[in-house]
Formats: sequence, C-alpha cells, structure tokens
Amino acid sequence: MSNREIYLDYAATAPLDPRVAAAMRECMEHEFGNPSSLHAAGRRARALVEAARASVAARVGAASDRIVFTSGATESNNLALQGVLRRSRNRRVHLVTSRIEHKSVLDVARALHASGVAVTYVPATAGGWVEPERVVEAIDDDTQLVSIMHVNNETGVIQDVGAIGEACRARGVLFHVDAAQSVGKLPLALAQAPIDLCSLTAHKLCGPKGVGALYLAPRVTLAPQIHGGEQEHGLRAGTVATHQVVGMGTAYELADPAREAPHLAALRDRLWQELAVIEGARANGDPQRRAAHVLNVTFPGVDGESLRFAMPDVCVSAGSACAADSPEASHVLTGMGLSDVLAGSSLRLSVGRFTTEDDVVTAAARVAAAVARLRWLARSAPAWCSA
Amino acid sequence: MEYSSAVERHFAAPKKARELPGGSAGLVAGEAEDRTLHVWVRFQLQVVDGVVAAAGFQAYGCPHTVAAASAVAEWLEGRPLAEARKLDVKAVCAELEVPVEKLGKLLRIEDAVAACCQ
Repeated sequence: MSNREIYLDYAATAPLDPRVAAAMRECMEHEFGNPSSLHAAGRRARALVEAARASVAARVGAASDRIVFTSGATESNNLALQGVLRRSRNRRVHLVTSRIEHKSVLDVARALHASGVAVTYVPATAGGWVEPERVVEAIDDDTQLVSIMHVNNETGVIQDVGAIGEACRARGVLFHVDAAQSVGKLPLALAQAPIDLCSLTAHKLCGPKGVGALYLAPRVTLAPQIHGGEQEHGLRAGTVATHQVVGMGTAYELADPAREAPHLAALRDRLWQELAVIEGARANGDPQRRAAHVLNVTFPGVDGESLRFAMPDVCVSAGSACAADSPEASHVLTGMGLSDVLAGSSLRLSVGRFTTEDDVVTAAARVAAAVARLRWLARSAPAWCSA
Repeated sequence: MEYSSAVERHFAAPKKARELPGGSAGLVAGEAEDRTLHVWVRFQLQVVDGVVAAAGFQAYGCPHTVAAASAVAEWLEGRPLAEARKLDVKAVCAELEVPVEKLGKLLRIEDAVAACCQ
C-alpha cells in the first residue's frame, strides 16, 4: 500500500479547480482596477464582479441584485443574524435556531444573547434532523428570525428548510439558511423558496477561500456590520476583492449538482461499504436524509484524535475536537444523543469533485488498519471506552 | 494540536505495548482511568529482586497519552521498584513536549504505575 495522501475532507474545504485558478490568475494579472472606480480599469473590474454575481445568482436561482459578496459564510452568518437582530431597539427580540448549527451561527447567537436577545435552541432527533414542528413551536410573538442550516456540516443531514420557511412566512418571521454545505451539492431556487437570507461560500465547491455571499430576499433590510463605504448595496463596506469574486463566480458556474451529486453519492456509498465491515462501525445521521458528500462514522473503542494521528496521510476531520484537557465532544453528535466518548470516537469523511474510487477504498483500508491497531493498544480497556 | 517528534515516534512504534506472560512470580499490574477525560492506562511490571525487569502497557486515549505511557514503560525497565514509585509524569511531559492542558490526562499514568507498586 502506498503512502500517498488521500484527501477526504471536502466538507472542510476543497481543492481549487484549475479552471477557477486560471480565471483568478487572469483577473489578478490583467484587471487590477478598483471596481468602485469610474475610469476604464475600474469599469472593467466592475463588469467582472457583476458577471460573477450573475453566475452565483444563477446557481442559487436568485436575481443578481439579491447577492451581497462577503469574506465567506462565517461573515454571511454574522451579517444575517446581527444585521437582522441588531436593527431593533427597546423591545424584546427573539431568535430561534438549532443546537446543531455551525459555530458561526451558535457563537453569534451567544453574543446576541449576551446583549439581550432571547434565543431558543431547538434540539435535533437521534438521526440529526431538526423537526420543523419543533421550530414552529419555538416561534413566539417576539421572534424576528429563525436560522437553520440546510445541510449539517458534520453529518450531512439535509434539513427541511422548505417546511420551516413556509411556517416562518405564515408567521411573518424572517428565515435564514446557512447553505455552506449544500450549495453546489443540492439544487437551490432561492427566488421561489420561502427563504429570506441564505449564506453561501466558495471554497467548499472548489472555489477560493476568503469569499462568500449572502442572499437577501427583496423585502429584507439589514443593519450593516462593517462600515466605511457604500460597496455591496451599502451592506458590506470595503473594496470588493475582484479576483476572489471572479473565482467564486467561476466555481458556481462549474458546480452543477445534477452532474456531481450522483458521482459523490456513489463514492460515499462505496466508502461506507468498505468501512461498514469494521466491527462496531456505525454511520451517524438519518441515511434517508443525507447529502451526497458527507459520511460520519463512529468507531467504538478508538479515540478519534489518535485515529486521525495514526493515519496522517488520510485527510479527514473529527466528529469532535480533543484540543483541551477536557475533550470537547462534537455538539452535533452529542446533540443527536451520542455519548461524549462515542462522539469522540467519530470521523467525518467527505468526498468531492476530484475524489476517486481508489481513494475511498485505499482510505478505508487505512482506517481499518488504524482502528485495529488502536483497539489492540487498548484491548483490556473498560466498557465505557466503547459506550 | 501540535505533536513533538518524540510523541510521533512513541505513538508510531511503542516498543513496550505488549502483554507480559501471566502466571510468573513477580508480575504486577495496575491501571487508572478518568472517564471525563477519556483516558485509561494499564501497566504490567515483571519485578525481579525489587527491580523492574520488563514493562508492558495498554492505553486508550489521545496520542499524548499513548506516547507518554510508552515513554514511561521504557523508563521503568531496569529501575528499582522504589524508584518507579517516584515517577514524575511532569518530567515525561516535558521530554515529550506535551501541552500543559493534557497534563490532567497524563497524571493517570502516575496513578497506574503507583497501583503496580502497591
């Protein structure tokens, strides 16, 4: 078995598509103008930005003027939550979200709570699903915003944002969706969807890091979070990073869910077929509701940090981080009912455009070997290590 | 998380990760755990004339735990049991460049060795 590096962490980030790199290079080498400038160089840069905006809008089924470029989905989530909830003064404001959101939503929710915003965290089922009825139950007269991710970043479980959005519309509550993991993997038609704000990223679909966007439905107004210019409809001050935006536009042109999702699902299923033979291995998240590119697996009796360390040439992520004296178990997996120990015995494996069948088969063999070695190192360990 | 080359070496090839043959006179074993920290370690020591002639270990936990247990098992061999009792795992942590936040886990190694020496 060779020691070649195998990348199965597309849910964290994806390699830059060479066609994206070529478009960015062309822009950087020849179009340095400030897209806000009125002279010829500025107008050419502006045209590139608007072409990219049109590409992003087309991929998510929205009008171009509804797309605001940001530095990434984290900034988009910040702008959405803070932009909506910091508009109101002198009245109770309520946010509804779930316990299994990305940190870029949960940490913002915590910060908002510290400044007086009431927050309700809806739990997930054992299958990692946020039941729309539970979200609806949490809405009260002061609720201004509901924020639920489309595809969970750890389990790949797809949430029913259509049903949740319809319920929000019926109650006059704005609905924000973090689509960082779904865009390019699932079809989006935001103009027709009951979604008011949607966070988008570029780097998870083979685009550049450092750029993203926020979709805003026509009736939505926001309080800007960055001041210092009128760029991006006055919602996001700062010189637009033309080459980054051009890269995002090209990435969105290339990322066609209809073409890529079947390939990704076949790879993910083959990966699970290989891993499922490992004694005790179990996939997390409702298999009927999972996006094509993510597989989260628990290997009881194995510490996740040691498992990753034992196979450095297999690039995967933990279901939990063990970065401190007290292991921080994945809030997503524990939120689905897994114990801290089992959450810490989990790996997230995610496939993408450049993953091959040989990659997943070879990676699974390395995982199996590492699991076997670590279990042997702890062969007399007490039962709690596997429960 | 950063790992020193010593941690990498011990984790990749822990020489004393083995089972000492049971039933022999002078074979002692001890273990310790902390469920909240997700760590369990077990040592076996073959003691001959008050000296640790051979050591073996098992470990469940993070790479630093496995590496430190391996380093301690190597350190124990050839030492009088009285000296083994004085194991200072903090010195091992320093040698392996273990982050200070991992010390709580690695103190269980001291406990396991102490259990062997009772």
